[in-house]
Amino acid sequence: MADSYRPALSRRGFLKLAGAAGAAAALGGGGLSASKPAQAAGGLRPGFESKFTVCDMCFNKCSAIARVQGGVVQKLDPNPKFLKSRGMLCARGNAGVEQVYSRDRLKYPLLRVGERGEGKFKRISWDEALDIAAEKMKSIGERYTRCGFMFMAGSDMQSSFVHRFAEAYGSYNTLSHESMCLIAGTRAFLDTFGEVPIPDMLYTKYVVMVGANRFESLVTPDSIDLMTAMNNGAKLVVLDPRYTKTAAKADEWFAIRPRTDMAFMLALAHVLIKEKLYDRKFVGEKTYGIEQLAKHVEPCTPQWASEQCDIPAEDIARIARELAKAAPAAMVYPGRRSSNYTDSTQIRRSYAIVNALLGNWDRPGGLTAARKVGLSGGVPFEPPFYENNPEDRIDAGRAKLMFPEEGSFKLARDAVIAGKPYPVKGWFTYHTNPMQTAANRQKTIKMINDMEFMISMDIQMSDTAWMADLVLPSQTYLERQDPCTAQQGSSACACVVMRDPVVAPLYESKPVFWVMQQIARRIGLGEHFDFTIEQFREKQLSGLQGAMDALKRDGVYYNPSKLYGVYEGKIYKTKSHKIELFNSRYAEMGLDPMPVYTPPKAGGYDRFRLVVGRNAVITQSSSQNNSLLVKFQPTNHLWIHPDPAKEMGIKDGDWVWVKGPHGKQRLQAKVTHQTRPDTVYMATGFGVLSTGLKNIYGEGACIAEVLNDDFDGISGNMAMHETWVSVGREAA
Amino acid sequence: MAKQLGMVIDANACIDCKGCMVACKVANQVPGDNWRNWIKDGAMDRSAKSKKRMVFQPGNCMQCDKPTCVTACPTGATYKSKADGVVMINRDLCIGCGQCIKACPYGARYRNEKLKVADKCDFCSNRREVGLEPACVSTCPTKARAFGDLNDPSSPAGKLYAAQKEEAVQVVNAQSDTDPNIYYLGAPGDKHWPVKAQMPSAFTFWKNVADPGVKVLMGLMGVGVLAMLGKQLVMKNDAPEEHHGEDGHE
Repeated sequence: MADSYRPALSRRGFLKLAGAAGAAAALGGGGLSASKPAQAAGGLRPGFESKFTVCDMCFNKCSAIARVQGGVVQKLDPNPKFLKSRGMLCARGNAGVEQVYSRDRLKYPLLRVGERGEGKFKRISWDEALDIAAEKMKSIGERYTRCGFMFMAGSDMQSSFVHRFAEAYGSYNTLSHESMCLIAGTRAFLDTFGEVPIPDMLYTKYVVMVGANRFESLVTPDSIDLMTAMNNGAKLVVLDPRYTKTAAKADEWFAIRPRTDMAFMLALAHVLIKEKLYDRKFVGEKTYGIEQLAKHVEPCTPQWASEQCDIPAEDIARIARELAKAAPAAMVYPGRRSSNYTDSTQIRRSYAIVNALLGNWDRPGGLTAARKVGLSGGVPFEPPFYENNPEDRIDAGRAKLMFPEEGSFKLARDAVIAGKPYPVKGWFTYHTNPMQTAANRQKTIKMINDMEFMISMDIQMSDTAWMADLVLPSQTYLERQDPCTAQQGSSACACVVMRDPVVAPLYESKPVFWVMQQIARRIGLGEHFDFTIEQFREKQLSGLQGAMDALKRDGVYYNPSKLYGVYEGKIYKTKSHKIELFNSRYAEMGLDPMPVYTPPKAGGYDRFRLVVGRNAVITQSSSQNNSLLVKFQPTNHLWIHPDPAKEMGIKDGDWVWVKGPHGKQRLQAKVTHQTRPDTVYMATGFGVLSTGLKNIYGEGACIAEVLNDDFDGISGNMAMHETWVSVGREAA
Repeated sequence: MAKQLGMVIDANACIDCKGCMVACKVANQVPGDNWRNWIKDGAMDRSAKSKKRMVFQPGNCMQCDKPTCVTACPTGATYKSKADGVVMINRDLCIGCGQCIKACPYGARYRNEKLKVADKCDFCSNRREVGLEPACVSTCPTKARAFGDLNDPSSPAGKLYAAQKEEAVQVVNAQSDTDPNIYYLGAPGDKHWPVKAQMPSAFTFWKNVADPGVKVLMGLMGVGVLAMLGKQLVMKNDAPEEHHGEDGHE
């Protein structure tokens, strides 16, 4: 085809020509339709209302503007005043309208009448549902102690009310999604810098991104700021076994061998120290353990790392030098999801240590400290004391440094199944879907089957709700009044957002706050929920003058504070009061005080490593069934490299089986160079059990069924990439 | 100079997040598998180690200066607006014949599954009427799309166009150069996708007739009468359109 680019310069000549033709056409066409606005059927008409909301399509919670006409949300637009999102709304944010108007909404409370997981429910009234919930909580609490009922809430602006209820009820056993996501990384940076940094992406000059996919798995403002920084000349180096869209946009991509990130980082440290490229003033003044580290990384040469990582030694050395040259406006991106390996905390510690050597802490283009916006805690309460309760959480003591407020889903599930140290027989889940997001689905089913009663609240029949005994219909974020929530965002400032309903709630849907309040009243705990959301927000904002006005006017409240140099003259919240290259607390606990690399085992018959990853239209497992988003990803495929595919006679589109240590699934292959020959990938959230997810039921395969449920020994984070699978072509 | 709304797109800033596509679909109530805009997938270039490898190229109706769709339309339903240079469709006049769809080198037009008429991007005329930017422009995370009057250097698109004239290019099929009003900065990625416009043979004689009055006469004289009466009943749903829904977004 004779297609080409034509330089814009030639436009001038064309303008004349086009002017004549265009004008003639316009004249006639316009004349014929003079009284009619052409093409303007549908969409917004004058007289619509604009109302602020906060997106709930992922954890980012971007402020947005709902365009409402006739009581219907017609469109969601970004809020240009919301700096954290840089005034954008992604595909999922735009698809938020479908949350409200989906045919798959849960409409009224449902009680299970068939076997668990059989999907047979009957409609009951809210009064019945709440009475049943209260009775079960009471009875299980009496028979197994209050810790015998477990609570789990996802990332939501009302999740704190679930945790508040659990506290008032007397259960320590609260879980979140975080132990299937980011807690290893959180642990690592906390144990190095004393807090979890916010990367100053906008002003950085050099980013090494490992184990993160910022152009698909969007994080605000990092994803947007990264593009801006690159447009301003910043360099992006991506290490990923998959050719992600982040890799596609990077200056350099290395298909690193999985589980060898630490070797790469130790080699960077080696070069930085050996060639004296690290920030010696910063390291001398603010860090602890440079001598020990120097000795520790002495053998970790680029040549050594090269053999581990499949990255040329000269590139490793060059990247170290380039980082040092760009420092302190340079970083190893801390990343977010770190539910990868059994030593993920130590792997992320190695990221943190390289950052410390670059001296980028608290400086422009580096890692910045979190800043408090000044939100207060809301309505205070005194949870009662329950004498017969056990001493600790059910998952306590199984990981060395687990966050007690997050727990470990993996370890809690093991403990519930074992019935040790004590029985847990009830479960309440809200806005979370571990049936799809937790590795080893069969184990999750086993845990649920070991329970006496399970309650699940959601907007649609997720696989987790599908397994429950009582299913409660939640309001969507566009129908709800929510408390305020504080957000952090590097140069985008710390801020506060809140939600008011933009349309009236549909069906019999209710907010979880109301549900918790109603159950609490039924079991004598009403005093802990004796307030309205307005009163709660008033307390939250009590220290922030003018905040409510700003929220109503702009949809967001900022409390700008110093961004850089906030640690000047301050101590670090670590044992040594310095940034810990060498962690003395770890040493005392018998943990490696500095990250020690262990090479990955070679795959045998199960020769592929299965990895987890996101793209910009899927959020964990909650968005796959959205009628707008499903068009981009109607199913999932197994990504497999052409070399092994050829060897096994697998062609693009062929049906294959993939077998992990606990389960086997069937799906179609995508034969592609976009993954290493030893690594396979599939998207999360398919192969669902629930027929209530009509857009995706019967589509694709469930990764949770195949993933091995190992865990990080320090944080208790699930370790999903420790999964070796075998793959084969399905018989025709 | 006359107002000409257009876009200057930095394809290198596009991360293929599909934000523009969903925003457009919702804003314009584009049904089912119809799309008014797209993002073209780049090919993976495995040979190059140290450069930006893959370009995602966002696009939509190019609001051409020499619109083949306008020429192909037998009823005058499609016209180029004098006010702002946007190619518009008068749905009341459209008979759903599909000629304009075949005549577009960019596959920018589709037969609206619900309305049974030709449809395409009009830079969100409904939103512009109420003072909002086109949905794809305002929602774009990396602000890859700049929109405005190309002839007004104070508009976002005009400013970029004026500043980057040396760099900006159009994507055209040399056999059907319609002089589009979407410009791309730098290397916009795949350039081999526009096709040769298929002009309706029955109207070849009239193809240079720009007067829609004559066209309406033509339409009324021929199959037009029947088609206009029964346009929503007789037409099948398999209008010849470009398939924009790319797969493999895992």
